[in-house]
This record gives sequence, structure tokens and C-alpha cells, in this order.
Amino acid sequence: MKRNGSLMLSVLVGIVFLCFLSAPGARAEFPERPITLINPQAPGGANDVLARPYTQIVEKYLGQPVVVVNKPGASGMIANVAGAQAAPDGYTLTIGSSLMTIVMEWEKISGKEPPAYISDFAPVGVLSTIPTVLSVPYASPWKTITELINEVKANPGKYTFVSAGLRSPTHLGAERFIKALGLKCRHVPYKGGGPALQALVGGHGDFTTQFSLTSIPLHRGNKLRILAVQNSERLKSIPDIPTMREAGIQNIENGMWLGIVAPKNTPSAILEKLRDATAETVKDPAYIQAIQAVGEEVRPMGGSELAKHWALESESISRLLKELAKEGMK
Amino acid sequence: MDALVSLYHGFENALSLQNIYLCLIGCLWGSMVGVLPGIGPLAGIALLIPITYGIDPTGAIIMLAGIYYGAMYGGSTTSILLNIPGESASVVTCLDGYQMTQRGRAGAALFIAAIGSWIGGTISIVGVMLLSPVLADVATKFGPGELFSLLLVALLLLSSLGSSSFLKTLAMISMGMLAGTVGMDTLTGAYRFTHGFMGLYDGLGFVPVAMGMFGIGEILSTTEQSIVREVYRPRLRELLTTWDEFRASIGPILRGSVMGFFIGLLPGAAHILSSFMSYTVEKRLAKRPEEFGTGRIEGVAGPETANNAATGGAMIPFLALGIPTTPAIAVIMIALLIHGIRPGPLFISENPELFWTLIASMYIGNIILVLLNLPLIGLFVSLLRVPFGILFPIILFICLIGTYSVSYNTFDLAILLGFGCMGYVFRKLDYELAPFVLAFIIGPLIEETFRQALMGSGGSLAVFYESPITFTFMSIAAVLLGYNIFKSLRQSRIGVSSTGSTGP
Repeated sequence: MKRNGSLMLSVLVGIVFLCFLSAPGARAEFPERPITLINPQAPGGANDVLARPYTQIVEKYLGQPVVVVNKPGASGMIANVAGAQAAPDGYTLTIGSSLMTIVMEWEKISGKEPPAYISDFAPVGVLSTIPTVLSVPYASPWKTITELINEVKANPGKYTFVSAGLRSPTHLGAERFIKALGLKCRHVPYKGGGPALQALVGGHGDFTTQFSLTSIPLHRGNKLRILAVQNSERLKSIPDIPTMREAGIQNIENGMWLGIVAPKNTPSAILEKLRDATAETVKDPAYIQAIQAVGEEVRPMGGSELAKHWALESESISRLLKELAKEGMK
Repeated sequence: MDALVSLYHGFENALSLQNIYLCLIGCLWGSMVGVLPGIGPLAGIALLIPITYGIDPTGAIIMLAGIYYGAMYGGSTTSILLNIPGESASVVTCLDGYQMTQRGRAGAALFIAAIGSWIGGTISIVGVMLLSPVLADVATKFGPGELFSLLLVALLLLSSLGSSSFLKTLAMISMGMLAGTVGMDTLTGAYRFTHGFMGLYDGLGFVPVAMGMFGIGEILSTTEQSIVREVYRPRLRELLTTWDEFRASIGPILRGSVMGFFIGLLPGAAHILSSFMSYTVEKRLAKRPEEFGTGRIEGVAGPETANNAATGGAMIPFLALGIPTTPAIAVIMIALLIHGIRPGPLFISENPELFWTLIASMYIGNIILVLLNLPLIGLFVSLLRVPFGILFPIILFICLIGTYSVSYNTFDLAILLGFGCMGYVFRKLDYELAPFVLAFIIGPLIEETFRQALMGSGGSLAVFYESPITFTFMSIAAVLLGYNIFKSLRQSRIGVSSTGSTGP
């Protein structure tokens, strides 16, 4: 009984103390409670590779934990709507990515009213960008990107490329390449990056543009050959592979950024705080080490940088999708 | 010799107290995930990933792999006892397993399922251990054309699955394939039968459809017959298989092991395909195929062995190439990436210790699972003694939770209930559900691979007979089709002359 009594007393004292603490600052520092991060994928999806170290480390800079809530389905649209309609108080954030751009732009082009627009969001920051790389089966006769281009140019419509799905970043990467050079190839979409890579390794397609993360191990293990990277500079893990720009093809950089976005009317003070914490996190050695462990470099962007990039990206994706729609993509 | 030394070191690591403990947790959770209808290995693994963050990568993969193969052990339990598949791969086990329960042989069915699972699992690990790099390359040879020809054989076998009339089976297959077309078309991006519902963009999920038809449908139809059913009280002798049953199961178990292992290599629905192919092959080989569907133990032993053997096969493209071919393995791969390990063709040579420890832990895990499952048979069978008034609300609840845990979407619950009502109607009209569910899975795959193959070949049909693999499967398909036509023609002729009897 005595112990119970003293426990009660200390709880009471604690409560009174807390009241005093919060009394002077009626507007306490953001964040006062845990932050929710909406993930448009099911648990165990590829987003977790970047989001997991982020949520773990950002707590250090925000002073509050970030809790992931999974809302998969409808190509991420369910999560996008939930994120756009959340209260703009900084407590509900969403994982944004190039996938978000693609699905929203496509809804517009296909004549639907997207239930959420890019303009419904305020960018917080990019955790990293993963570029696509162009690869061919290991048994393929093409050793350089020029050989591939010459051969495909000479035989329009003869060669096929595989992708991880219609309108996926891996599909758009190849289309950017094809359109820039005026090539003619057939597209065979698969359900996901795994099946697409398996098909390419087995020689059931002539080339593909898949993410560096999944392609590089297969390149090293002599199962496929990377000919060019769709990044502005060479990748540190495969320094001997040229960029598309070096091969003479301008402006077909392609990849997927993954970052954090907030609802659009989030107060600027709160948004700044979130941006700062995110910027600190992606510079944190623990974060960099977690990403480098799987052979990737960290390519972050700040909030304002993402805003600019997002506008450019949505414009170029919209243009590409319109062209594809004209060619019969539904 | 090298392999043996490495395996020895693998066992040394896997037998550390921590690793055995993690293996046990993985297997326990896997069994549970398998037993609970609706919660599959995919959700089971994803739910436990956060727990692995605190442990080293070796321990993490031991545990996650344990869930994966453990789930295949438990899947048969509810199929056999309640006619509700605990796992997609156990749909076909309902056919004979549930009939065995109704004849008082539930214990025997569970026993042979556990033993078969153990043998199939162990044989497939031997395959993974010795043949990984070779078979990974073979697996990549299976392009869309090859897969299509194999699936065509599967579809033809599907038509012989039902024990009710052929026309009814055909109707169910067609409806299943139709249900499979809902959602975004993979190849053109067109939305089909979505009617503006965002919840249908990704198509109908397997879990709400199967759990609805089997689970909810079973509950609905049992509520009206529960008075007739008597409480079943098993005796110890009834829990064990008889010598005759055991002898009849040896062939299916061995064939199921080999077949399941190789089908596991293929991308797509390897587990479902393996159990269902094993069932139909056993039915073809049986002396009295018409007895299948009335509680033949071969109809449990073969498929349950095959789906466990498929786990090994399915891990090969992942371990040897770093390419995950099933969603559950894709989740394991993401977990490894989070742990800072990148799978790929060099994974085994760069992480030999991890690989061999995993192999050793899989041997251990399979023994743990069989030791875990055998004593539980008595307990599971006594589930049948629980009054339906208590048992079925619990099952209903688990179906709802399981469905929600896959998509986190309440729309799927409506689909679950809708298909539950459909399942009830089909039952009342004496239509079999298994062909519907299997066609629901195989149908979209057939369409997809067919069109992928033609897109790849530029419209030339040669892609379906050029390679030796496609040629073989296409020949089998042609023979099967010819045989079916011949049989039905002969049957109808006999039917005319002697009032429909089909021989002795």
C-alpha cells in the first residue's frame, strides 16, 4: 500500500510539473508528438530500403519518432489521396517519389481527374535518387552502347526491351532512350523488376533499363552487361561504364527519387523544421553507411531543390506519357 | 567434399543457441501464419521484419526463411479440417483432405501432410544446396513462351479436376478466368471491369476471393446444416495413418517432391501450381481416378509435399541470382537489403558462411516443423469438437483480419463478403470452388505470358514451338487434349449403348 501511495504521489507531482512546463508555451515547439509517414507500399516493399534508415535516424533531429503507416493499392493513389487530404500540421507526411509523379500525370492525360495533384503537396526533401542503367544479356553481342544503337537503328522494329511494368520508371527510361534517338523497338512489360530481370538474363529480351540497385550485382556476376548509366555522372560502383551524355545522348537522365512530402498548406515554420531535419538526416554518417552497404550512393535533394526538380520531372514525364498515349498506350 | 565441409560449418553456426532460437521462432510463426486462413507468408514475413532489425543478418534470414517454409506446413491444417485453405497453395488439399475428415480420417490426413511436407522440404534443400547455380540458369530459360506452354498443360489438367460434371467444372473455370481479368491490364494499361473503383485498379486479390469463397462460403453453408453434424471425437488410433494409407502415399510424396521443386523455380504462382499439378498427376496415375475427391490420401500427400518442395525451388533464383520470383521472397530480399546485404549472383561466393548457415538452418527448421506439427495433430483434430457457434465467429474474424492485413484496405473486406455469398450460392448449386480459384490464378498468367511471348516474337507463333521446352509442353498439351476428346467421345458412345456406365 505504501509503495502504491508513493507511486500515486510521484505521478501527481509529474502531472503538475508537466502542466507548468507547457503553460508558458501555449504554442510549443513542433513536433510535440510522433509524426506519421504514409507509405504507398505494403510492408517489406522497396521503399523500406531508404525509408527505414531515414525514420530511424530522423528521430535524432526531430526529437519525435516517425511512425510509418502503410497504405498500399491503386499504384499508390490511395496513399497519395490520404497524404494530400491530411491536416497540414506537419504530423502527417507522405513518401513521395517519381512513381507519384507518373501516376498523377497519367491520370490527367487519360482524361481522369486525379484525386490528388502534385500541387497538393509541399516538398520536404529527397532521401536519395536511384538511377536506371541500360543493360543487355551477358550473351549479347553488344559490348558498347554505340554498337547497340547502330544495330537497333539498322533494324527498326526487330529488337525488344523488357520493363518492370507499363509506365514504371524502368519503362520510361527505355522510352526516353528510344525517343531521343528515334529508334523503333517493341516493349514487353513484366510484373515487377524481378521477373523483368529474370527475363533479360534468360535472353528473352534484347535490353532493359533497370535500377542500378538491382542491375549492378547481376553485372558483376556476369549475368548481364551494363552499357550506359542514365545519370548525370558515372556511378562510383561501376566507374568504367559511361553515362548516356558521354555516349552523346543528351537529356535522357532517368531514375527514381524517393523523398518526403507534406500537405500543401503546411505552415512554413513547420515545413522548414521538417526540411532541416531531413537534410541533417541524409548527411548523417549512419544514413550514408546504410545506403552504401547495398552499393548505392546517397543522392539527396533539399526541399526547394526538390520543388524545382519535381516541376521539371512532371513536365518531361507528362510529355513522354502524351507521346506514348498517342502511340496507343491506355 | 567441399560442400560437405561448408555444410558442416553451416551446421556449426546454425546450431548456436541464438540461431536455433530464431529458427524456432520463424518456424512457429510460419506454422501459425500457415494455419490462420488469410494471413499468408507475405504478410507474415512483412510483419516480423521490424523484429529482425536488432539481430545480425544471418539470424534475420534464418528467421524470415523459417516463416516462409513454415507457412507451407500449416497451410493444409484448415483445408483438411474445415475445408478452408490456410494458404493459397493448399486450395487443392481441400478436395480430398476435407472428405477424409468427414470420413473420420482427419488425423491421418494431417499426419501424412506433415510427413510429406518434411520429406518434400528436405529433398528440396538438398536441391538448393547442390544445384543452385545450375538451376538458376535453367530457370531463366523459362521465358513467356515456355511458361505459356506449361500453363496451357496446367489449364487442360484443370478441366479434369472436378468430381462433379465436366460442364460445371468448365463453367467454374471460365468464371474464375473472368474474375482474374479485373484490374489494370499489364500489357496495355487499360483498366478492365473496374467501374471507377480505385480498390479494383490492382485487380481482385487472391486472399479476399479465396477466403471469401472457401471461408465465408463454408461458414454460411454450415450454419444451416450444423444441427445434423455430430460432434466428432477421435481416438488415438484414428490419428495415425494405416500401413495401407502410408504405402499409397510414398509414390505421391516422392513425385511431389521432385515436381514441386522444379515448378518452384518458375516465376509466377509456383506454390499453387506445384500443389495443383501434383494433385492432377496423381489423379491421372491412380488406378481409380474417379475416387479422387472422395477422400483419397494420395490427394493430400502429393500436393502438400509439392508445395513444400516448391519453397526450395523458389529460393534458387533468389539465392543464386538475387532475383526474387515470388512476392514473399521479394520481401525477404528487401529485409536483407535493409540489413546491408545485397543478394546477387556473387551472393553465395561472397557470403559463403551466410549461405551455408541458411541451408543448415533449413534442414533444422524442417525437423523442428515436423516435431512441432505431429504432436499438434491431436490438438488440431479436437478443434472439430469446438461447437460451431464458437468456432465460426472466430474463423470469420480471422478471415477479415487476414484480408485486411494484406492490403490495409476496407474495400477488400467488401470483396471478401461478396465472394463469400458467391461461394455459398455455388455450394448450394453443387459447383466446386477449387477450379474457380485455380483458374482465377492461372488465367491471368496464361493471358499475360501468351501476349508477352507474342510481343517478344513480333507476332510470330513460332515462339510456341521453336524451343525444345515449348515444343515438349505443347506436345503434352496436344496429347492431353486429344485424349480428353477421345475419352469424352467414347464415353458418349458407351453412354448411348449402355445407359451411361463407364466400364468396371
